[in-house]
Amino acid sequence: MSRLAGIPIRVEPPARTDGLGGGVTAILHEIVTLLERLASLNEPSAIDLRSLPMSPLDRAELKRALGEGEVQATLNAEGLSTIQETRIPGVWWIEHRDSQDQLIAELIDVTYVPEILARVSNEIAAGARALSEQMAKAAAVAAGRGGSSAGRQ
Amino acid sequence: MLDGNEDLTVGEMLRRHGISRRGFIKFCTAAASAMALPPAMGPVMAAQLIDARRPSVVYLSFQECTGCLESLTRSFAPTIENLIFNIISLDYDDTLMAAAGEAAEAARDQAMRANFGKYVLIVDGSVPTGAGGAYCTAGGKSAVDTLREAAKGAAAIVCVGTCAAFGGIPFADPNPTGAWPVSDIVGDKPIINISGCPPIPEVITGTLLQFVTTGKVPDLDEHLRPKVFFGNTIHDRCYRRPFYDEGKFAKSFDDEGARNGWCLYELGCKGPTTYNACATLKWNGGTSFPIESGHGCLGCSEPGFWDKGSFYSALSAAAWGKAGETSPSKELEMAGAAVVVGAALGAVSAGVARLRQHRQEHQGDSDEPKGG
Repeated sequence: MSRLAGIPIRVEPPARTDGLGGGVTAILHEIVTLLERLASLNEPSAIDLRSLPMSPLDRAELKRALGEGEVQATLNAEGLSTIQETRIPGVWWIEHRDSQDQLIAELIDVTYVPEILARVSNEIAAGARALSEQMAKAAAVAAGRGGSSAGRQ
Repeated sequence: MLDGNEDLTVGEMLRRHGISRRGFIKFCTAAASAMALPPAMGPVMAAQLIDARRPSVVYLSFQECTGCLESLTRSFAPTIENLIFNIISLDYDDTLMAAAGEAAEAARDQAMRANFGKYVLIVDGSVPTGAGGAYCTAGGKSAVDTLREAAKGAAAIVCVGTCAAFGGIPFADPNPTGAWPVSDIVGDKPIINISGCPPIPEVITGTLLQFVTTGKVPDLDEHLRPKVFFGNTIHDRCYRRPFYDEGKFAKSFDDEGARNGWCLYELGCKGPTTYNACATLKWNGGTSFPIESGHGCLGCSEPGFWDKGSFYSALSAAAWGKAGETSPSKELEMAGAAVVVGAALGAVSAGVARLRQHRQEHQGDSDEPKGG
């Protein structure tokens, strides 16, 4: 059976001529406040888009109003996630999908770099250990190969 | 079930299963969203859970239809497999576990001994006390004895479904098996009721996840239900609410009002007096909920929903209390009011209905025998 996301839905362009809908304007005001807080207090924050009663039209309007910035990252961890920088610096549109491609979370992150992209120190240390072990194994294999070829001569 | 990994932290289990920190943050972000927590809680939850020990969970099924477990296994965020394999140690569930018979019973006893005072006890189904508890026995023990024994070492009891929480369908008049909810059998342990017939899967997994994260019983309403999921009525969050406020009601399931998606109040929708998260979390991974599919809410997460008259009678005409205890004059009074206005009516009828329900329940307390 087709997935829900596979059923084509066409979002009609806004019929309004007087600008954005009230809900979208309210979210944009909130984003301005969150950006000011980030700039002055260095305090990141986020808006859970799934908790808001938004129509597909509202969502499309909000996406259009924020636009697309220079960075788009794809995260492949327990399903695909897209982390899209918007045209507004510090505002990121994040979609998380599970391994069945179901949308499980959608949020606007107001931060310098989304936390999910960053690595933490113990991961860096574990990476250094893993790389050292990998090189040691490769060296051992090379040494063994060298020894056996010398023996054959 | 018991697999030698009981002492591992959540983080250690995640690493064993090849799940990265990022994958886990994503999982927690989705879970926080499902629980209506602030989105910033996702990374915080992830950080707390990484170092937490996985709690032992014992799942007991009594007088029930297994619909609640069917619901639980369809949780999208968090998924049941993620919860079972990484977050909790599900040490006994006679439906899901591979072991059977004496081996299964031995696994349960071992888990309860090893984690005495710390395990989470999940109960699904009401507890029949009639005929000395003979209506529901497993391994030679009655449900009521098994519950009392398992409750002794539990840190908390989570009642999954309206049967365990409020007695459910088995408790319906005339209650032939002498069925009772868990809270009427066990009085000395923290109890969390997750009602619904069945409950929303994400409400079950979300409540468990919240308990594991904080180690505390969440804020509960007067029926011991987590406020985060049961704080609003279906009506409060219904997308058809504007039609109710405008006085636009479907009169039959195939009239123009129904086709236009108008309010289903007059077709028996119990949304105004039903506390649950169907209108926000929805079902089947957020696809829809009954009202979105054109049928009124049955009120399945409220005590006694099965004995409150027809599912298709408007709330204003419904019998609040056991079947046959209706007051015709009050029905008439409320039915008359229902036709007149929309928004004002909503506030009045919902308030009166809730007050009447409360009174009926309060009066019922002194008349009905306690189980056990």
